[in-house]
Amino acid sequence: MSALVTAAGRVALGPDAPDDALDPTPWLRNRKSRKYMGVPDELAVVAAGRCLARAGLDPSRDLGPRAGLYLSVAYLGFALDDILPVLDASMDGADFSLDRFTRQGVRKAHPLLTFRCLPNMPSYHVSVNFGVGGPYVTTYPGIGQFHAALEEAMVALDDDQIDLCLVGAVSYQRNFLTAWNLSRVEPAVDPARAWDVGAMLLLEREAHAAERGAPGRRAVLRDVERSYVPFDPEEGFVPSSVPESDGYLGAAADAWALADHLDRGHGADDRTLRTHDGYTVRRVLEVLP
Amino acid sequence: MRARHRVAVTGLGVATPLGVTVETFTEALFLGRSGVGPITVFDPGGLSTRIAAEVKDPAVLGLHTDRKVAFARWSAARAWEDATRNGTRPLGEPREASVSLGIGLELFSMDHLVRYRTAGFVPPSAPRERLAFLQVPSDQCLHQIAALVGAHGPPSLHVSACAAGTDAVGQAWRAVASGRRRWMLAGASDSMINPLGVAGFCTLNAMSTRNDDPTRASRPFDRTRDGFVLGEGAAALVLERLDDARARGATVYAELCGYGNSFDAYAITEPHPDGKGALAAMRHALAAADLRPEDLGAVNAHGTSTPKNDPAETLALKALFGERAKQVPVCATKSMIGHLISAAGAVEAVAVIACLRAQRLHPTINLTSPDPQCDLDYVADGPREHPHRYALSCSYGFGGQNAALVLARAEAP
Repeated sequence: MSALVTAAGRVALGPDAPDDALDPTPWLRNRKSRKYMGVPDELAVVAAGRCLARAGLDPSRDLGPRAGLYLSVAYLGFALDDILPVLDASMDGADFSLDRFTRQGVRKAHPLLTFRCLPNMPSYHVSVNFGVGGPYVTTYPGIGQFHAALEEAMVALDDDQIDLCLVGAVSYQRNFLTAWNLSRVEPAVDPARAWDVGAMLLLEREAHAAERGAPGRRAVLRDVERSYVPFDPEEGFVPSSVPESDGYLGAAADAWALADHLDRGHGADDRTLRTHDGYTVRRVLEVLP
Repeated sequence: MRARHRVAVTGLGVATPLGVTVETFTEALFLGRSGVGPITVFDPGGLSTRIAAEVKDPAVLGLHTDRKVAFARWSAARAWEDATRNGTRPLGEPREASVSLGIGLELFSMDHLVRYRTAGFVPPSAPRERLAFLQVPSDQCLHQIAALVGAHGPPSLHVSACAAGTDAVGQAWRAVASGRRRWMLAGASDSMINPLGVAGFCTLNAMSTRNDDPTRASRPFDRTRDGFVLGEGAAALVLERLDDARARGATVYAELCGYGNSFDAYAITEPHPDGKGALAAMRHALAAADLRPEDLGAVNAHGTSTPKNDPAETLALKALFGERAKQVPVCATKSMIGHLISAAGAVEAVAVIACLRAQRLHPTINLTSPDPQCDLDYVADGPREHPHRYALSCSYGFGGQNAALVLARAEAP
């Protein structure tokens, strides 16, 4: 299966990462909505906004019911600062007290904290800020699941269910909970190398891209091989062969690599990846002359 | 989508507040029992909501310390046993099959967090203990289930909140119907009945506080509803090509005919007041099934018992059915089992199948004072004999993710 890729957008924060701030406000239709957003949501909106701008699409206009969103979210993060007030108010000496939690601790939680924890919220914030009304897939938490979402995107385009779609991944990794998760992946990842990453691609039906005069570089993404071998995570995860970049990008690593090749590469980027969640994927992204 | 194959449901497994076998679950549904009671999983103490619909069976709970992992494993194993009980397994090579699972939010243990932050604490080193410490990764059971059933096609894990179960089953249908997969195990599991989960929903004022009358707290479409009741559980379905199922002599419980999903792109917790996103999902599902609204004989509603969902859903159904709306009965399974969040759509698909097989409808309980804005036939008067061929099942998630399935009564070969 193959699809036309007409734009990409990325954002990354971390040691030696290209961005040093994360600000989704240029793309928010209601600036007050930022209070509901956690880091994964902001990564998704910034990456999507940059992608649509590169595509020559006006982000303030609804993409509509024939636009889809296929997003993979990495291991859900949690900032220690968000939970410490709750924890501190729930302690009885050195022990956690459930009774104190239900009577005092829970009242110390930021009232909007729940919204920042839900794995489908990045999809919501992209849909509402760019008017995506079409089909979706929201998967979790590894590179293999990015490819699961990508497969569904390609099928939807091929079936003429949609005209275009955002396909991507977000990895919020610079927090205590994801650091713990990364330590359980083989080989263990140094959390000091982790980036917070969002990467989005715009896939379009060729006729749609031609009709609107899509500007900029284009590429064809071909899904050459996708396979999987079941395993038991309780016995250990699969050793990953995903190439390292400047930082550790987690679930967004291949979305980032594809975006990078579209932006800067030439010819074909032909990669076979073995991911820690059991997938083996060979995909080819060929930049068109 | 060009559906090349009809899709049969040949295996079912459940873990629900009304029972952990399909038979006990079905019986309780038609008797109109409530699975809601005081929370016993932990002491809810000072929380504003102290009721939930819990799974009680110790054989299920003993499978894993993480309840949603336990439910997922149980329901998948039962569905697989069911699908293979005639001594044959679904046809095709292992790489032609895969798993599609909806899963709930990972939450972490506060006790473990205290230990994690204690100076000098050394985390467990053995993989099994390490994976269970602080937080169990939600994809753990996906891979274990794929290994159990020998599905070597790439699996998918859906986290679209309250729509995840329907999305997981729907995506599996699409894969089999299109020919991309020969068979699938599809389902969903969730449990948020833990301190962080219940507290999180309490802070949103989203749940019923009818703590002194738990069995009557979940009241979809009733004027006195005051929020949803949290439930937990899982369901799994084996889907395969109808021709394959007949060739190997498998029991066909129902057919899956169509699936659609859409975004509201409207608000973070409220559905679009006109129900337009929900309407789009239902229409996509019908289009995929090559059916019209007038072909539908029944609806299994999302029916959460929240002030905003129920009237918006009613409007969407009226827009779908037009003048015929009041003649199409609408059941709300959540009236009995509460809201299973990510697992809801999968468990409710099993409820729809139970109704199709019995050619009856289960009741919507606790509907004693209808909301004037909710004026359809919600089967409030008890279970009902109801011949019908096609049914629609709907799930609408936080964040405006809408999903719908079309199911059909199994035909004689």
